Amino acid sequence: MRLRQGQFSFLPDLTDAQIHDQAQYAIDNGWAVSVEYTDDPHPRNTYWEMWGHPMFDNPDAAAVVFEINECRKEHGGKYIRVIAFDSSAGWESIRMSFIVNRPKDEPGFRVVRQEGEGRIIRYTVESYAVREPEGRRYA
Amino acid sequence: MSDNGTRPPTEVDLAAAYEESGVRDILRELEDTMIGLGPVKQRIRESAALLLVDQARRQMGLATDTPTLHMSFTGNPGTGKTTVALKMASLLHRLGYVRKGHLVTVTRDDLVGQYIGHTAPKTKEILKKAMGGVLFIDEAYYLYRPENERDYGQEAIEILLQVMENNRDDLVVILAGYGDRMDRFFESNPGFRSRIAHHIEFPDYSDDELLRISEGMLADQNYAFDDEARQTMVEYIAARRTQSHFANARSIRNALDRARLRQANRLFSEAAGPVDATALSTIREADIRASRVFRGGLDTDRPVRRDAAE
Amino acid sequence: MLDQVKTVTDAKKRYSAGVMKYAQMGYWEPDYTPKDTDVIALFRITPQDGVDEVEAAAAVAGESSTATWTVVWTDRLTACEKYRAKAYRVDPVPNSPGEFFAYIAYDLDLFEPGSIANLTASIIGNVFGFKPLKALRLEDMRLPTAYVKTFQGPATGIVVERERLNCYGRPLLGATVKPKLGLSARNYGRVVYEALKGGLDFTKDDENINSQPFMHWRDRFLYCMEAVTRASAATGEVKGTYLNITAGTMEEMYARAEFAKSLGSVIVMIDLVIGYTAIQSMAKWARDNDMILHLHRAGHSTYTRQRSHGVSFRVIAKWMRLAGVDHLHAGTVVGKLEGDPATTKGYYDIFREEYNPMALENGIFFDQDWASLNKMMPVASGGIHAGQMHQLLTYLGEDVVLQFGGGTIGHPHGIEAGATANRVALEAMVYARNAGRDIWNEGPDILRDAAETCTPLKQALEIWKDVTFDYTSTDAPDFAPTPEVSF
Repeated sequence: MRLRQGQFSFLPDLTDAQIHDQAQYAIDNGWAVSVEYTDDPHPRNTYWEMWGHPMFDNPDAAAVVFEINECRKEHGGKYIRVIAFDSSAGWESIRMSFIVNRPKDEPGFRVVRQEGEGRIIRYTVESYAVREPEGRRYA
Repeated sequence: MSDNGTRPPTEVDLAAAYEESGVRDILRELEDTMIGLGPVKQRIRESAALLLVDQARRQMGLATDTPTLHMSFTGNPGTGKTTVALKMASLLHRLGYVRKGHLVTVTRDDLVGQYIGHTAPKTKEILKKAMGGVLFIDEAYYLYRPENERDYGQEAIEILLQVMENNRDDLVVILAGYGDRMDRFFESNPGFRSRIAHHIEFPDYSDDELLRISEGMLADQNYAFDDEARQTMVEYIAARRTQSHFANARSIRNALDRARLRQANRLFSEAAGPVDATALSTIREADIRASRVFRGGLDTDRPVRRDAAE
Repeated sequence: MLDQVKTVTDAKKRYSAGVMKYAQMGYWEPDYTPKDTDVIALFRITPQDGVDEVEAAAAVAGESSTATWTVVWTDRLTACEKYRAKAYRVDPVPNSPGEFFAYIAYDLDLFEPGSIANLTASIIGNVFGFKPLKALRLEDMRLPTAYVKTFQGPATGIVVERERLNCYGRPLLGATVKPKLGLSARNYGRVVYEALKGGLDFTKDDENINSQPFMHWRDRFLYCMEAVTRASAATGEVKGTYLNITAGTMEEMYARAEFAKSLGSVIVMIDLVIGYTAIQSMAKWARDNDMILHLHRAGHSTYTRQRSHGVSFRVIAKWMRLAGVDHLHAGTVVGKLEGDPATTKGYYDIFREEYNPMALENGIFFDQDWASLNKMMPVASGGIHAGQMHQLLTYLGEDVVLQFGGGTIGHPHGIEAGATANRVALEAMVYARNAGRDIWNEGPDILRDAAETCTPLKQALEIWKDVTFDYTSTDAPDFAPTPEVSF
C-alpha cells in the first residue's frame, strides 16, 4: 500500500532537489513552510507532530531541505510531510502539502464494519500501525 | 519530471559570459563607489575570473564539485569589509553560486545561547536565514573562548563547520575581524582554516584616501568643505590616526557627524539675518578645529553630547 | 429623445386616472446616482419596433418594481418615489443594432433579507413577459454589502472543504458515474470504488439519478458508501461521492440528506431545478450538519444560453453564492459544453474572489464586494481528458473540481487505470508549474514524460490525443478588450 495523501503521491518519490523547487515555490508566494512527521497516517489525523515552527523568515528553500534532513535523522522510519501556510485574509490555511519521507513498509488501513438494522453499516478506518503503541510503530 | 537534458557545449565565450552575468556591472560599481582598497579590488577581480572559468568548466562537464567559496575578510575596523561583503553577495548571485544573494550579518551573540540547548537552535536559525545568500560573521574569533571549557561557542563552531561542509551549494560564510586575532583563531581552529579558500586583507586607508572619503560622505548629504576646512581636515586625519580607537572610514564618519552639529550650532549663534543655501551646506574650519583631537585627543568614536557643544 | 422625457412632477397630473408613459411616471431618472445600498440590475433590452429604448428601460424598471399598466391613486399612500426602481442609463450594445443595456437601481427596502425567491420574483418576475419588448436578458447585478450580509453564503467554502478533505495545492478530481441511468446499485458502487481507488477524490451521481425502478436511492447510498470507505482505506485519503438527494418534496430531501449523513458521507448533491428556496433550505441544512453541498446546474441552459433573452449564468452564479451552495458547475473552456475563455473567467471570479472589480471583457459590469462570504468551488465537467491538463490548469487554476467522466470510465484498461491516468497527469502538471515550467507551451512534453512511469497515462494520451471541441461560443462578451486579454 502506498499512502496517497499530499500533492505528489502518485509521482515517484521526490528528490531533495525537487523538494527544494516545490518549497521555493511556496516561499516565493509568501507562504511559511513547515515540516511535520507522524506514525499514524490516518486520513483524518490532522495534527502531525511539528518539527519546529513554520519557517517564516527563510528566503531560500535550502533551509526547508536542511530541516527535513534533520527530521529524517530522528524520524526517518515515519511519514514526513511539508506544509505551506498562507496567512492572507480569506485563506489563512494550508496551500500546499506533500509527503517527503515514508516508512519502508506501509501496511495501510483496515475497514471495520459494524452492522446495524436496515442494512446500515457504521464504518471505521484504522491504521494498522496504531495497533502498536507510539514509539514502536514502523520499528 | 525529468530535466531537459541538453548536451554540454563544446566551447564557451568567456567575454559573453562576463557580460551576460552582470559581473562587469558589479566590478565597475565596486571601482566607482569605493575609494582605495586596491589590493581588495584586485583579489575580487581574480575571484570573479576564477568563478567564471569554473562555471564554464562545469558547463562543459570538466568540473562537477561546487568550489569552496567561504572567505575571510581581515583588516582594521572601518576598512570597508561589510560593504565589500554586500557586493560579494551580489557577485556570487550573478554568477549563480548563491540563489538569492542576500547578506546576513551577525556576531557571536546572534549565534551563541545563554544556556544548555539554546545554542544549536539559535545557530541553525541564523544559518537557515542565510541560506541562498552570504553569512557574514563579524569578529568571528569571539566564537572561540579557550579559557572557558564549557563555553557554548564551541557548539556553534561545530554546527557552522558541518554546514559549511555539507551545504556548500546553499550558503557562503565570510568570517571577518582584525588580522592578527583572526590568525590566532585559525591556528586554534584548523577546521575553519581548511574550509576557507579565499583570504582577503583590507589595508588601512591612506590619509589622502580618507580625505576623499570624507568629501564623498559630505557630498552624499549635500555638504562641502570650504578651502580652510579641507586643510583642517587633512590635519585632523593625520592627528586622529595616531590616537586610540582609530577606525578608518568609521572615525571619519563620526568626525563629520560632530562637525555638522557644530556647524548648526554656529549658524544659530552667528545668524543675524536670513541664511542662504551656501551657508547651510558649508563646513568651515571652526567646525572641525573645535575637535578635541587637536588638543591631544580624548575623542572617542561615540558622538558625545558634551562634545557637540564645545 | 432622452432629454425630451421628463418626469411629471405636478401631483395632480401625475396621478390622474389613465395611462401614462413609464418614463414620465418617474421610472427614468438620467441624473440618478445609485446609492451604495441600492441593488443594481443590468438588462439587455430589445424593444419592439417603434418602441423607444428609454421608455422600454423605464417600463422594465416599473414592471420589476412598483408599477402596473395604469396609474393608481394608491401610490400616493406610500413613499412611492423611494420604491420606484430607477432606470438611469441606457447604452446601445456594441455591434448589436436594436439592443440596449439598461441600468436600473432598486432601493434595498424593496427586498426581503436573505431570500433569493423574493429578489428574483421582482427582478425576473412579470417583466420578462412584457409585450413592448421582443426580448429581455438579465446580464449582471450589483448586490450591495448590506444585502449580501443577509445571506448565509456557501455552507462550507473552498478553504474548509480543503481542510475537511485534507487536500491542498491541486485541483480536485471527480467523475460522474456512467451510464447515467440503468445501473443497479451494486454495479454502480463498483464504478465508485474503482474510480476513487484509482486516484479520484470524488465521484458523482448525475442530475437525473434520484430513485428510479432500476435503483432506489437508499440502495445507492449504501453501496456507494461501502465503495467510498473501501477506497479511503486503500489510499489513506478522504474520499467522497456526491449523493444526489434531489426529490419531489422537501421532506423527502431532508430524509435522504439525513441518511447520507448517517452513513458518513462528506457531501450531498442537489439539482438547480429544485428551486431557489429549496436550495437555500438545503444550504442551511448543510451548514448545520458540516456537509459539503454540490449543486448540479440542471436546466440552466433553458434561460442562460441565448444571448438576447433570459438570465446570464453570471447572475445565477451570484445568486447561488448568496444562496449558499459549495460546488457549482461553471464550464471548462476546452470541453464539450458552452463557454468561451473570457466569459468563463468572469464566472470563476464570481465563485472564488473576495472582490470582483468591473471587467467588461469578462462580462462583469459592476464592482462586487462579497463581504467575506465563503468561496464556491467551481466544477469543470463535460468532454475533458488528461491530455488537456495543461490547458485546464492554466485556464481554471487550482481551486476547481475537474470532472473526467468519460475520461475516466472510458479508459481502455478500466476505471481504476483511467482515474490513475488523470491523477498522475494532474500531479505532474502542478509539479511542473510550481517548478517554474511554462506549462502552456511545454504541457504535452510534461505529460509525455510523466507517462514514462505511468502506463495508464500513456494509454489515455494515445486514445484521446485528437479530441477537441472547438465550436464558436454563443455567449461571448460584448466588449472586446484591446490588446487581447490574457490570463
